[in-house]
Amino acid sequence: METLSFEFPAGQPPKGRALVGCVGSGDLEVLLEPGTPGTLNIQVQTSVNGAQLRWQHLFERIFQEHTPPALNIDIHDFGATPGVVRLRLEQGFEEIGHD
Amino acid sequence: MNAHDLLWGMAPAQLPADAPAWAVEAISAGHPVVVRRALVAPGHVAVGVRGRLREQRFATVMPLAQVTRRVVPEALGAVVLPRDLPALRALEHLRPLLGQHAWGVAGSAGFELATGIEALHAHSDLDLILRSPERLERGDAQRLLAVLDTAVCAVDLQLQTPFGAVALREWAGRSRRVLLKTCGGAQLVADPWQAVA
Repeated sequence: METLSFEFPAGQPPKGRALVGCVGSGDLEVLLEPGTPGTLNIQVQTSVNGAQLRWQHLFERIFQEHTPPALNIDIHDFGATPGVVRLRLEQGFEEIGHD
Repeated sequence: MNAHDLLWGMAPAQLPADAPAWAVEAISAGHPVVVRRALVAPGHVAVGVRGRLREQRFATVMPLAQVTRRVVPEALGAVVLPRDLPALRALEHLRPLLGQHAWGVAGSAGFELATGIEALHAHSDLDLILRSPERLERGDAQRLLAVLDTAVCAVDLQLQTPFGAVALREWAGRSRRVLLKTCGGAQLVADPWQAVA
């Protein structure tokens, strides 16, 4: 088990919080909470060791498309594929936007 | 052939040149491979090689003609192993409760039950599958989840719909859209029993 931290530039914090995803093999659980304006903080707890760079590249690809809101994101990863991580993050952003 | 089936008969020579040493070792030792969901060329099946460590999973394809033996998850529910581990105790506990369902064992528990090779450890979840050709209402999913949560370890049950797999825990929850794992990849869908566009 490894805990990884990431920081990215962000916009304004949203009002709500959201919990998406699921505890179980090949999936992940994502908790999104309002953060400090201008900053997106991500903590990843993962069962797959040695994947810091893989996460860094994945987040960079996702956030270069549009600036994310200012959030503190907690991820519990259970060996999800990059495709699943992306879907879960999109789902989380969507849920936060609905409040 | 369905996801989670265990297949024997793959030869080390069928592994690609970039296969890690542990994968070559596992195949040389005669370990089975696990069918995964992916689209592959006709005459082939997408499989995963398991290593001893959790991050040791290698995705590859196997020619169907090489399959010498196949064990499906349903065949493993009744297997009893002498090791004393939470996942195996959970299986003992749930066996009579799941009786009438079309269920089976997958993941490390399924691998160990099928091969006798030690894959489980003290913190392993119990991975189960449930064949669900008909829609399982969300209320029924909540009741089934409550039964699984009486077990001594975390139980991850994947509903196998005609279009892919969805986690019972998520289907029982409140999320409007849920993750459906299909041959074409994962998707968020409102109804796992409806064909994905």
